[in-house]
Amino acid sequence: MAQSPRKQPRQVSRFALAKGFVTVVISTLVLIGLCYAFAPSSLAAGALAGSLPFAAILMIVGLGQMLVVQQGGFDLSVAGGVSLSVVLATHYPSGDNAQLLPAVLIAYACAVAAGLVNGFIVGFVRLNAIVATIGMNALIYGVVFAVSGGVPRITTDLLAQIAGGDSFGLGHSVWIALGILIVTVFAMKKTIWGRKFEAIGANPLAAAAIGLDVRLYQMMAYVLAQLYYCSAGLLIAGITTQPTAFQGDSLLLPSVAVVVLGGTSLLGGRGFPISTAIAALFLNQLSQFAFAVGVPYSAQTIIQALALGLGIGIYSIHLPSYFNKINKLSNREEEDEAIVS
Amino acid sequence: MRDTSVGVENEQGMATSGAVILKLSGISKFYARIAALTDVSVTFRTGEVHAILGENGAGKSTMMNVIAGAIRPDLGTIEFEGRVVASMSPETAASLGIAISYQHPAILDDLSVLENLRVSLPAALFAGNAPRAVAQAMLDQVGLTVPLQARSESLTVAQKQLLEIAKALAIRPKVLILDEPTASLDQDATDMLFARIREVVKAGTSVIYITHRLAELRQIAHRVTVLRDGRLAGSGLVEEVSDQDLLGMIVGRTLGSAFPPKPDSTGDINLSVTGLTGQNFSGVSFTVARGEILGVAGVAGNGQAELMRALAGLQPSKGDVRLGGQSLSNHDMLKQAAFMPSDRHAEGLAGGLTIRENAAISALDKFSSFGIVNRKAEMAQVTDVFRALAVKAPSMEAAVKSLSGGNQQKVVMARALLSEPGLIVADEPTQGVDVGARSEIYRILREVSSRGIPVIVNSSDAAELEGLCDKVIVMSRGQVVETLTGHDVDEARIVAAAVSALTHVDRAENLHPKARASGWRHFLQSDNAPAVPLSLVIVLLALYGFSQNSHFLSSFNVGNILMLATALGFIALGQTVAMLLAGIDLSVGPLAGFLVVVASFFITEGQSPEVMALGFALMLGLAVVVGMVNGLLIRFASFTPIAATLAMYIGLQGCSFILRDSPGGYIDSNVVAWITWQIGPLPVAFVVLVLVALAAEHLLRNRRIGWQLRATGSNEDSARRIGLRIDRTFVAGYVVSALLTVLGAVMLMAQIGVGDPAQGSNYTLASITAVVLGGTSLRGGRGTFIGTVLGAILLTEVLNAVSFLGLSQTYQYVFQGALILVAALIYATVRERSTVK
Repeated sequence: MAQSPRKQPRQVSRFALAKGFVTVVISTLVLIGLCYAFAPSSLAAGALAGSLPFAAILMIVGLGQMLVVQQGGFDLSVAGGVSLSVVLATHYPSGDNAQLLPAVLIAYACAVAAGLVNGFIVGFVRLNAIVATIGMNALIYGVVFAVSGGVPRITTDLLAQIAGGDSFGLGHSVWIALGILIVTVFAMKKTIWGRKFEAIGANPLAAAAIGLDVRLYQMMAYVLAQLYYCSAGLLIAGITTQPTAFQGDSLLLPSVAVVVLGGTSLLGGRGFPISTAIAALFLNQLSQFAFAVGVPYSAQTIIQALALGLGIGIYSIHLPSYFNKINKLSNREEEDEAIVS
Repeated sequence: MRDTSVGVENEQGMATSGAVILKLSGISKFYARIAALTDVSVTFRTGEVHAILGENGAGKSTMMNVIAGAIRPDLGTIEFEGRVVASMSPETAASLGIAISYQHPAILDDLSVLENLRVSLPAALFAGNAPRAVAQAMLDQVGLTVPLQARSESLTVAQKQLLEIAKALAIRPKVLILDEPTASLDQDATDMLFARIREVVKAGTSVIYITHRLAELRQIAHRVTVLRDGRLAGSGLVEEVSDQDLLGMIVGRTLGSAFPPKPDSTGDINLSVTGLTGQNFSGVSFTVARGEILGVAGVAGNGQAELMRALAGLQPSKGDVRLGGQSLSNHDMLKQAAFMPSDRHAEGLAGGLTIRENAAISALDKFSSFGIVNRKAEMAQVTDVFRALAVKAPSMEAAVKSLSGGNQQKVVMARALLSEPGLIVADEPTQGVDVGARSEIYRILREVSSRGIPVIVNSSDAAELEGLCDKVIVMSRGQVVETLTGHDVDEARIVAAAVSALTHVDRAENLHPKARASGWRHFLQSDNAPAVPLSLVIVLLALYGFSQNSHFLSSFNVGNILMLATALGFIALGQTVAMLLAGIDLSVGPLAGFLVVVASFFITEGQSPEVMALGFALMLGLAVVVGMVNGLLIRFASFTPIAATLAMYIGLQGCSFILRDSPGGYIDSNVVAWITWQIGPLPVAFVVLVLVALAAEHLLRNRRIGWQLRATGSNEDSARRIGLRIDRTFVAGYVVSALLTVLGAVMLMAQIGVGDPAQGSNYTLASITAVVLGGTSLRGGRGTFIGTVLGAILLTEVLNAVSFLGLSQTYQYVFQGALILVAALIYATVRERSTVK
C-alpha cells in the first residue's frame, strides 16, 4: 500500500459519503444539547412519549418520499395517501375490532392501486411527477370523501392498542417505524432489487445502458411510497382518537423536508434512509424545543424553513467547489493511489 | 515553389488576397495540465476562405471558440484589424462583426423559425422593414424553404443547419466562422452554400471554414491551416498543397502509449453483421474473427456513435447480427453486449455510488441467493477483477467520481467483464484517459478479445485504431466506405478514407420541406391551441349547469365565478412565468396569503389614504424581495426551483403566523368595494386580468423579452450560446412571478376581507393545476398566458358547479384530479405526435 503524503482523494471520498449523515447527526446532537440547556422539559420522559410517535410517523412518510425523490421524482400525493388509510381504518370498522383486519387490507390494496397509477403515469407515460401526483392526490381525496363524507369517526380500540400502546418503554409506533427503517435499509443495501434501485436513481441513463428496466423500478418507487404512507396513516388512526379526513395534509412539506435534510438530492441519486430517519427526529425535536422555550406555533414553521434552507444550502452550495476538486482530481496523473485489493 | 508544410508568411499569398483582418499569435490553452492549444499563430485575411483541417481533438473547435470569445486563451494575443483585443467575449466578438455557425446549431426548438432569428439577431436588422419580409429574405439567401411560423422542433437537422448559417450570414459579418457546415447537407444545399460563401468572400468577408473533407477544401478554400495535437502542423495556399502533403500534416502524431502485439488471425468468424441499418447509418456489414478487435473509424458524426449504440442493443436497428452462429434480436444484443459509452459521466457510471457498487451492478445475480447479495462473494469477485485490471483507488468504497478518468474507465471495464458478456462495444474507450492508463486499457481489450469475446472499438483517433485493431471499417455519412485489414490498418489509410469520402447525405429526407401546413394545422401546433378545447369545455359545462339549475348562469353566480377566477388567474399567470423558465414557484400561494396579512395592518377601516398607499407599496416591495430571493437561490446557490420555493413556502407561512396568529384586521370596505366593482355580471378586476394576460401574451410572442424568456426555458445552453443573459432572465422571471402574485393577493384580500394567516397556501396547487390545464409545458419554453386564464376559469367553474349542483365534496376532488390528469395526458400525447411524425 504505497501511500504518498498527498492523501487528498481519500478524504474527499470519505467526506462525500458521510456528508448527509454527519450533518444531520451533528445538528441533532447540537439540538439535544440546546434542549438540555434551555428547555429540559422537552426531553422529559412524558414529553418524549408524547412526541416520539409523531416523529415515528414523519419518519415513515419521509422514507416513502425518499424512495420517490431518489428516482428524481416528487410525490405530492402523500397527503391523500395518508388521509385515505386513516379514513379507511376508522370508518370501515366503525369501532368494531373484528372489521379492523379487512379495513387494513383494503387500505393497503388502495395504496397499491394509487401507487400503480402514479408510477405508471410518471414512469411509463413520462408525465411530470408534480402534475401526476397533484392529480392523483385530488383523486385520492375524492375517495376519502366518498368513504367518510369528511366527518371524523372514533378509532377502534384494537388499533388504538396496537398503534398507541407501549412496549419496553417506547410506543409501538416507534418500534414499528424502526422496523420499517431496518427493512428499508436491508432491502436497499443487501438485495438485488435494492441495489438496482439505487443504481437507477443514481444514474438512470447508465442503468438503461446496462439493460436495467428503469421504468419499472421508477414505477415501483411510487407503489412502495404509497405503502409507507398507508402504514403511517394506520398509525395515525391508532394514535389519534378522532382523526380528521385531512390528517395527511400537514405531513406533505415535512416529508420533503426530512428527505432533503437527510441529504438526498431533489434531483435524484442515492437515498439515505438512516439520515432521513434522524432528520425526522431532528425536525420533531425542533418543534418541541421551540414549543418549550415559548415560541408560538406560528414561528415554528419559520424555524423549519430556515433549517430546510440551511440543509439544502449545506448540500448544494458546497457542490460546485466539490465538483471542481473532483475535476482536478480526474485530470491528475495517477501516482498516488494504491491498487485496490 | 515552397515547402508547403511550413507555416511561414508567403509574399505571394499576401499579393493574391486581402488585408489581414484577424491575427492569432502564440495562442495556448490548457485544461488542467493538458494542452488543448499550444503556441498557435494564424493569420486570417479579408476576401478569402481559410480552411482549418485536423483530426477530432486536434484543437479546431478550441481555436474557433477562442476567436468567438467563448473560451479565453491562457497565453497569446488576438489582433483584430490591427488592434489587440484585450479580452474577447461573445459580446465583443459580435460587436466586431465575428459571426459563428456552430456544428450543433444553437436553435431553440420551442421557438418558431422567425422567433429564432429575432431573438438571436440584433433588433436593428429588423428595423425599418416588415420583420417577416426581412426574415424571409434571410431564409431565401440560404435556400431554406420552411414557413416562418413553423416551430423549429419540426425542422430536419439540415434545415436547422441552414437556419444557423442564415443567422450568421444575416449580420453581414467581417469574419464568418463555419464549423463543418455541410455535415448534414445534401449536394444541392452544399452547392448553394458554396455559392453563398463565394459571394460573401467577394464582398470582402474573411471566412474560416472548419472541415474534415479534402474534396470540399479543394472546392472552396484558398488557404489551409492544419492542426495536430493542438499545434500548428502546417499551412499554405490550397493550390500549392497536394492531398498527400495535407494527409501527412494531419496524421503522424506521436502516441505515448504502447500497444499490445496483434495475434495472427484464426479466420474463425464469431461475429458477423450483415446489412445493419438504423438511425444515421445504413447497410453496415462486417465480420469479426476470434481474437480480432474491430475498429470503427471516420470523422465524428458520421453514424459511428449510432452504430455502436445499435450494436449494444440501445437503439433499434434492422439487419442480421450473428454471434457465434446465433442470430440476435435487439433485445438479445442488449443482454449480450457490454457497452462502454463515450460519455462516462452521463451514461457510463453512477457518479455518486462507490466503485464496488458500480462494478457489481450488472452481475448481482451471480453473487446472490434468493435475491440477497452475498457480500463476501461480491467483494471477492470484484476485488479479483479490479486487481486484474489494476484499478487504482483509495478503497473499494471510494465514490467513483473521485477517480481519474483512466480508472473510471477501468471500473466500466470491470463491470463489463463481471457481467460475462458475449460482445464488448467500446465507444471512444480512451477519451479523457491519460497516457499511462491508455496502454492498460489496450492491453485489457486485447486480453478480452483473445478469450474469444468479439471487441468493437469506435475511435476518432486513427493512430489508436492502427495500433489496436486487426480490422477497421471507415464510415462516412452512415455508410461503410472502406474496410481495412492486416497491414492496411494504418493511420494514413484510415484518415485518407475518412476525409476523401465523397458520399453525401441522401436527398430524400433532407431539405425538402414537408407538405406546407395549413393555417389551421399551424394553430393546432401552436402554444395557444389548448384555448379552443378549454373554451368549449367551459361553455359546455356552463350550459349543463344552466340546464340543471337556471341560477347557475345568473348574474350573481357568473360574477362570483369570475371574481374567484380572477384571484387564481393572477397567481397562475405568475406560475406560468416560472414554468416557461422550466421551473416552478411553490411559494406563490403562501406569498399571496402573507401579503394579505401584511395588507391587513395598513389597508383597514379608518386609515388615511397615505397609510393605505404605503400598504400597497409594501406588498409590492415584499413581493420583489421574495422573487429576488427565489431567483438568486436558484441561480447562484444551486438550489433546485422546488427546493428554493419550498423553503420559501414554509418560511412565508411562518411569517404570516408571526404577524397574526388568528384572523384580524378588517380590510377597508371602500377598498373592497373598488376591487370588487362589477358591471352587471362582469367584475372589472376580471377585465383587468384578461387585459394583463393579453398584454403578457403579446410580450411573450412579439417582443424580445418574451423570446428571451422562452429561449431560456427551452434550452439554457443554446440560449447562452446565442448571447442571452441567462441568470438575469431567471431572476427577473421569479420577480415577475411574485409581482403577478401581488395582483392575486389584492383580489384575495377583497374576497376574505380580513388578515387570515391560514389562507392562501392552497393557491399554490390550484395555480399549478390552472397552468397545466391551460396547456403550458412543465419542460419550459412553451406556454400561454391566455390558456392559463382559461384554465383558472375552468377550475373555478368546476368547483362552483359541484357545490351549485348539490354534489358532494367527493366530486369536487375527483373532478379536479381528473381534469389535471386528463389535460396533462392529452397535451403530452399531442406533443409526442407532433414531434414524432
